[in-house]
Formats: sequence, C-alpha cells, structure tokens
Amino acid sequence: MSIFTRNILIALGMTILIVATVIYAVGYLDRLRLAEIETIQNTISTETFSLETQFSLLEAAPCDSTASSTTLSSELADLGNRLSFTEDQLGSSDARVIQLKKQYYLLEIRDYLINKKLAAACGTKPVTVLYFYSNKGDCSDCEKAGYALSYLRDTYPKLRVYSFDYYLDLGALKTLIAVDKVKNTLPAFIINGKYSYGFTSLADLEKQFPKGALATSTPSTTVIN
Amino acid sequence: MSLEVVTYPFLFLTIFFESFLLVTLLSHPARTSRERVASSKTPKVAVIVPCWNEESTIGGTIESLLALEYPREKLSIILVDDGSTDATYSTMMRYADNAQIKILKKENGGKHTAMNLGIEHAKDAELIGCLDADSFVDPKALREMITCFDEEDVMAAAPSMSVHEPHTLLERMQAVEYQLGNAMRHILSATNSLYVTPGPFSFYRPQVFQNIGPFRHAYLTEDMEMALRMQRAGYRIENAVRARVYTKAPDTLTKLIKQRTRWNTGFLRNVLYDYRDLVGNRKRGALGLIILPFSLISVVFAIGMFGNAIVQFVQNTIHAIATTSGIPIAYLMTPRAINLFYWPYSATALLSGVLIAIVIALIVVGKRLSNTSGTLLTNIVLYVVIYSLVSPLWLIRSVADVARGTANTWR
Repeated sequence: MSIFTRNILIALGMTILIVATVIYAVGYLDRLRLAEIETIQNTISTETFSLETQFSLLEAAPCDSTASSTTLSSELADLGNRLSFTEDQLGSSDARVIQLKKQYYLLEIRDYLINKKLAAACGTKPVTVLYFYSNKGDCSDCEKAGYALSYLRDTYPKLRVYSFDYYLDLGALKTLIAVDKVKNTLPAFIINGKYSYGFTSLADLEKQFPKGALATSTPSTTVIN
Repeated sequence: MSLEVVTYPFLFLTIFFESFLLVTLLSHPARTSRERVASSKTPKVAVIVPCWNEESTIGGTIESLLALEYPREKLSIILVDDGSTDATYSTMMRYADNAQIKILKKENGGKHTAMNLGIEHAKDAELIGCLDADSFVDPKALREMITCFDEEDVMAAAPSMSVHEPHTLLERMQAVEYQLGNAMRHILSATNSLYVTPGPFSFYRPQVFQNIGPFRHAYLTEDMEMALRMQRAGYRIENAVRARVYTKAPDTLTKLIKQRTRWNTGFLRNVLYDYRDLVGNRKRGALGLIILPFSLISVVFAIGMFGNAIVQFVQNTIHAIATTSGIPIAYLMTPRAINLFYWPYSATALLSGVLIAIVIALIVVGKRLSNTSGTLLTNIVLYVVIYSLVSPLWLIRSVADVARGTANTWR
C-alpha cells in the first residue's frame, strides 16, 4: 500500500471518528440540558406541593403564615425560559420536550390555582394573564405576542403570566381551556378574567390591563412560545 | 433544498481534507523533508528580479539579495526593468558597477516576458531563481533552497513566505494566512502536490525551461501555470520550509481584493481551461484526486455559505424588527446574564470548531517550521474573524470575472 493510500485511509478513519464524536457530544449535551430542566422542574414541583400542603394545613388563616402569593414565580419563569430555548433547539415535536412541557404546564396551572386561592383568602388583587398560543404555524402573531408579554413581565414584575400551547395534548390543559371557554382564535389572552383575542401591538395589549395594574413589585412567571 | 443537505457533506469533506493534511504532515516524507540539513554545495545560481514600477522596494530587494550568505562568484542577479515609468530603472542603475548584477531594460510586456528575458541571460546558471521586486530574502534562504536540489529528481523548489513588517489589521491578518500557506506548502510538497511556485524566490533547474518551455502569460498567474505545467510533465516540486522570504502585502482592502481576485481567477482559468486533465487524474496522486478537486469545490461552497449567511442575516433582522416592534430599545439592548445552559451548540457549530482548531494548529506549525518571528495569538483572532468576512468578496468577484470572461489587471 502506498503512503498516499495509507494516508487517505487514516484521514478517512479520523474524519469518521471526529464526526461520530461530535454527534455523540451533541446528544450527550442535549441529555444534560433536559436533565437540568427536569431537576429544576422536580424542585419546583416539590416546593409547590409543599405550599399547597401548607395552605391546606392552615386553611383557616393562610395569610398569617404564607405570603399573599407564591414565591416560586421567578424559578418558574427561569424554567419557562430554559424550556422555551430547548424547544427551539430540539424542535417542538421532540418527545422529551413535549413531556417536559406537560409537566411545566401542570406546575403553571397549580401555581395559578393556589395563587387564585391565596388572593381570595387574603383579599389581594394580583394581575394574572393566561396566554394561549400555537406553534403549529397557524398563529403568525404568537411570537410577537410572546415577546411583548416577556417584556411586560420583565418590566412589571407584579404581573403573573401563564403561557400554554393551546394544542398540547394534556388533560389538565384541556380542562382549563374548556372551563374558561377559550376559543382557538390565537393568540388568546385572559387578563384578570377578561378575554382578548389576536395581537396587534404592545400598546394595544397594554390597554387590556386594568388601570394601574402595570406597576413594578415582585417578579412573575415566564412566556413560552 | 435544506441547507444541511449541502453543509454536512461539505463539513465532512473539509474535515477529511484537513485530516489528510495532518496525517501527511506526520508521515515519513514530510518528516524527512524538515529534517534536511542545509547543503554545503554551491552551484552557480542566477536570480531574476522582474520589475515594473517598483521604485519604493527594488532597492531593498537588491540589498537583501546581495546580503545572501553565498559565494559572490556563484550568485548572479539579473534585474529586468519591464518598461517602468517611475524611478525603478534609475534605482537599479545605482548597482550597475556591481559585478554580480546584470541590468536589463525592455518595453513593457508583462512579468512573464521579463522572466523569460532574464532566463535567456542566465545561460551558465545551474539553478535559476526568481524574486518579485517587492520581496526580501533572509540571508540564509538561498542555502536552504539549494538543499532541495540535492535530490536529482527535484526540478523546482518553493520557499516559505512571510509578510514584510505587518502593521495594519489587513497585513496582520495576511501574516497569519501566510504561515498557514507555509504549512500547506510543506505538506503538499510531501505528496508532490504543489501547484504554485511563487514569484518570491522559487528556483528551477534550467532543464525545466528547456523541456517544457518558458513562462507564459497564464492569466497573470505565471508562477501557478509553470507549476501546473511541471506537474503535468511529472516533475517533482519541493519546498524549503526554512528558506524565509518576506513580501509586501496589500495594506488596503481594495488592493487585497484586486490581488486575490487575480490569484483566484488565475487558478480557476488555469485549472478549468488549460489543466482540466489534472483534476481527478489518478496519475497525479494527491494533486489530482484531492487537492485540485477540493480547491474547486471549496470556492463554490464558500460563496454558497456566504450568500446563505447574508440571506439569513437579512431574514433574521427583518424578523427581529417585526417581532420586537413597539418594544423600547432600552429593553432590547439590556445585556442578559451569561448562562452556559443557553450555549447554542449544534453539530454544525462543533464541526466548524474542529475545523478552526485544525487550521490554527496548521498556522502554528507553519510559523514554527519556518522559524518566522512575530506575535501570533491576536493575529489569529484577526485572521479567523476578518478573513471569513472578506475572502468571499474576492471569491465572488473571481467567479463573476471568469463567468463573464473579464480580463484582470495586475494592479
């Protein structure tokens, strides 16, 4: 075998090895990223459950022992950001992403419900946005709406935003949509019980909020889109 | 068609190409070549300096030749003024009394005609070299060049080149590129795949011109055409990696694009029109099967990737403007905290990283083998960033010139 032929074969072997290593590394990093999300999700899940339990134990006087809203909103926002980024990277049809989204939505719904209870018990008036989007390609304004809500949430931390993929196959989400009678005209918003469909501009969206609602206080959850 | 369909095969090909270079660098012929000890032989040598309007550099070029560590009686310098309209000829005439120097003057006819006139006047030389009038040789360079010819089948040899006193960003970028070129020349010579014998200080046995003829116009890349003609004839072209030659590099983008367009159109025209038989030719080994085909493919791919990058940039910008419409600029410009979680790795990015790492390794090898002084680290950053932005400009122009049949000019 000539030196040239031998060098070609070695170079080919090196190339295959490099490409295989890169493919393995990408898969490994993907798994690490998903595992990190799962860990955060489990932590938040435990803390939410703890809060619910605490709330049940002290049902008579919840406001004396807990804050008037959950303190997990910033973690939930961070989790949402990470999940959104991972969805962009791996694609919305990735089975692992779908599973994590389901768990995340369950956390959001639980956080939404417990805060609703706390607000009623303690007489507070949090500003809550339920945001429904689709990434099936049938909602050209969803990305703009998601970005606008992210801006509002970052600017007005008092705002609590819960975002949901309208078409995700999750029983609790379907029930929420059915109970609240949310139409599939997306993007859809429920701002403190008031329904709004479609997105034109940030200024128009801001008009949907109750007067004085947009003021800075504590941070809230995120917008996945 | 998805971009990945083209990107991944090309990345695979490029990694294969770079792996081949690394393997060849470590193989026996390359090791033997760089372990070569400078020869003590002193054959009669003639160095031809073709000049056209080089008044600012010709003096330094001549002085560097006179400072070569080589017996004076064995080294003759032939200065050929190719119809300069500036003070080149009068500067040459200052050396008219030097017995080593012969001065010729002719009407302007192009560099190849000046070289051929010089060759006619180098009848008794055992080796004939050339040196562009904007280049300067290291005192030990000739000894290193001569050593290549200790092996009788070597018909020509090319030196290592460096940028003379790089100051501007573009010059510093080219300084790095030249070190990569030195590594490439060293590696390609190990598989007899050199397809350029550069104007600055390449040497030939006189038999080359006797057997395959003198220099040709060759689309203003006579040094490339001569090397391709030698390859077709089955001649061996060596590299003296420690023979250092310093050349003036273009210091403005306009000059750089002009120079590189000339080089690239020369490459495309020579290879596609006159030496197409070498491409894919198994008899030509690495040159025919790997080097020339890959060089052609890379031109197309580099332009394609650049075009795609521009389209993507425009699309993303329009999309970003549409998506963030109405959001205050201050919010958009607020820096976000760096978090490794958001590192946007992908197979394409990692494979590109591998390619850049191999290129940087080759640059370091080129610098070390040629013993070139100067800083490297910041210049490598300049090279990686600037080169990827500006090189598509001359590639696009070259392809356009070749497609439209536009003739190029020297300056």
